[in-house]
Amino acid sequence: MIPERYCITIKSGNRSIVKCDDFGVGWEKINFLFGESGIGKSLLCKAVYGLLDRDELDIAVNGETYEKHCSDTLTNDIKRSGFFVFQEPSSHFNPLLRIREQLSEGSLSRRQVLDDSVRRLFENSDDKAIQKILDLYPKPFRPSGGEKQRMLLAMAFKKIDSFLESKKEDRNAVFVFDEPTGSLDNNYRNLFLSLLLEKYAQKPFTALFITHDYSIISRIHTHHKNLLSHVCFKELSRKTDTLVELHDFSSVEYLKWLDASRPPRYEQPSRQKPVLSAQANFSIFGRSYTICKDEARTIPARLTIGKGEMVYIKAASGVGKTTLAKIIMGLYRAQRFSMTLSGIDATHETPNSVWAKRIWGKKAGMVFQHADEALDLAITIRETFQGLPLAHKLNSDDIKNALAQLFDRESLTDAFLKRKVAYLSGGQKQRLNLLRTLILNTDLIILDEPLNGLDFLGVKRVLGMLEEKRRAGSSILLISHNEEIFDSLIDRERIYYLA
Amino acid sequence: MLSLRNKDVRWAFIWLVTTAIIAVWDILFLNKPALKLVVAGFFNTFIIAFLVIFVTLLMGWMATLGLHYLQEGKHKTGYLLLNFFFNLIRSVPQVIGILLGYVAVGMCIQQGLVHSGFAIFALLSFCMGLFIFLEMADCMWERIDHYQKLDFYNAMRVCGVSQSRIINFNILWKNSRIHIFNKLISVMGIAVFLQCSVDFIISVGLSTQANQVTLPTTLGNLLANLDSKQDILAVGNTLTHPLYFPHLFFEHLQGLTVAFLIVFSLLCIHNIANGYAERHRL
Repeated sequence: MIPERYCITIKSGNRSIVKCDDFGVGWEKINFLFGESGIGKSLLCKAVYGLLDRDELDIAVNGETYEKHCSDTLTNDIKRSGFFVFQEPSSHFNPLLRIREQLSEGSLSRRQVLDDSVRRLFENSDDKAIQKILDLYPKPFRPSGGEKQRMLLAMAFKKIDSFLESKKEDRNAVFVFDEPTGSLDNNYRNLFLSLLLEKYAQKPFTALFITHDYSIISRIHTHHKNLLSHVCFKELSRKTDTLVELHDFSSVEYLKWLDASRPPRYEQPSRQKPVLSAQANFSIFGRSYTICKDEARTIPARLTIGKGEMVYIKAASGVGKTTLAKIIMGLYRAQRFSMTLSGIDATHETPNSVWAKRIWGKKAGMVFQHADEALDLAITIRETFQGLPLAHKLNSDDIKNALAQLFDRESLTDAFLKRKVAYLSGGQKQRLNLLRTLILNTDLIILDEPLNGLDFLGVKRVLGMLEEKRRAGSSILLISHNEEIFDSLIDRERIYYLA
Repeated sequence: MLSLRNKDVRWAFIWLVTTAIIAVWDILFLNKPALKLVVAGFFNTFIIAFLVIFVTLLMGWMATLGLHYLQEGKHKTGYLLLNFFFNLIRSVPQVIGILLGYVAVGMCIQQGLVHSGFAIFALLSFCMGLFIFLEMADCMWERIDHYQKLDFYNAMRVCGVSQSRIINFNILWKNSRIHIFNKLISVMGIAVFLQCSVDFIISVGLSTQANQVTLPTTLGNLLANLDSKQDILAVGNTLTHPLYFPHLFFEHLQGLTVAFLIVFSLLCIHNIANGYAERHRL
């Protein structure tokens, strides 16, 4: 039987990566595991599952060596009867085998490839369309990320089906889903969630669902209320630099917070010129885009952001929200595009020197989506703030004060400032990524997925900081898939749709 | 931490220790005039090689920045012209280019335009650097190109960080110095090899302007020296007269030392560069 708690220590050489003394999940329950990116959620789950590299890492589980843990009957039972869905579908699939072959490998061989779960995950679309995907060799962009993700989930469901059909009492079946909805839009996410909970209702099993998507909470509270007593919401949070603790996450508190979130009250529209006014239609990379004001995406409208306004752009994944942000920032050149940004008229012909001298960091700044790529990982935290166009050079105290807006004050030591960005967790990198732009005094701030990789506390801190910036007069343009949160914070008048 | 377990450190140590042992042996058994020549040849060769590294780094860096700013500023003509000039240099075989440079330096010395030793060294280094620096420029250019494709570059630019800081500090210094240093080790090897080759070619009398009299003593022209040639021939003699072998270490030290220092130094530089690349997973 699975122990109530695991005590796990993971080190790489002399460097402690993560330590958790109380990693315990709900037995025969659906466990949702939240926590900021890079805190160690996946590592701890993989440690329990016996999936970590013994040569690269120094691991101890419940005081025993990792070799012993991996050879333990229980660990092997968990592996045999459960399934681990990896975060990145591309790394899970073998590029040299057709998806069809991979869906019938090993313990899945006795199951039909195209079964009800696959059909459900593909929204009962035509079998022919699914067969086409099954015949593909997985490549980086083919099938799409979402399709690969659903195929991977289909594999897990085949294993769950085997578990459901088995007459044997198998109480050690643990199914781990590491960010299973990262590449899925809300519709497919909901389909997957319904299917998972439906299977669970037939015969309970232990599921660990690692996610950053807090909107799952509302979904379960509204659509699967009957299963609430079988669902655990847990959050992994940092106690010290390497010690993390797993505690219950209050879904009620989240829902209350969401319910209490209101769009800011704007004063009467001023006669001042808008900070940004961009044309509604544009073309780039052979595709045409239209910015609309209505959800049906039928009425083109200029993208207009007034001083101190927070505007939200919505579109499905891959439609071109980031492309639009890059066009506004002059990084991409759309055909026949014109806009006015803080009194500066800019078109597709405006030379780079104008952007560099007058706009970037002075009139507008942008936070990129992936902190790992957007930050220089080879420099220190202090150096990240050097070179920014600020009124005065920041000293250590200034940097600490800036960081304190999104980091715990106690962690802000001189040694922390000297730490390389590469050694920060994903959530810490994201907060640093945001701060680098938010510290600037620009009229317009564009944020591409600002809540990526943050825990609930981080989300609240970032939203608080954005509100402060807005009140101080900065205009904010948001791009995010966290529709639930931003729908509650931004009034309908200030939501645009990209078609 | 540097440790002898690292291949690059181990080979640097081997090179130093072996060179020191040879120095002690030569001090004990090589005649004074020859010893003076070998010492001068060794130091001159490596001083020039180090100067070549400096010149290559400087020219490579300037070329990279030049191309980058011309491209970013959309100065198409300037960019094409500079690129054409670089390709012109690239089209000249390094040995030929350096040989011509040496002839020019030899003429300057003969006409009394250059007097001091350092000026001659600097000119020779410049000649070599001119035909090597593109290797460094290519390395830097590739690094900049790689980072420009990532969000890293644009994310910093839109925060108002100056382009020169991103290129020089973030890309070249913080994220590429290991690659650049590795390239510099290779440049050192190229410089020693080309120097020895060109000096050897000159010493067989291809030019009246550039010859062993006008140019400083290096390992290359020492190897072409009559005494050294005889010493090398003595090695062949041992194949038919094996009992003559011990004499090599007492009577033919000049040629043997010079030949060994060239070959062994090149081998060590090769292994240091490989070890460094392995250690930093380049």
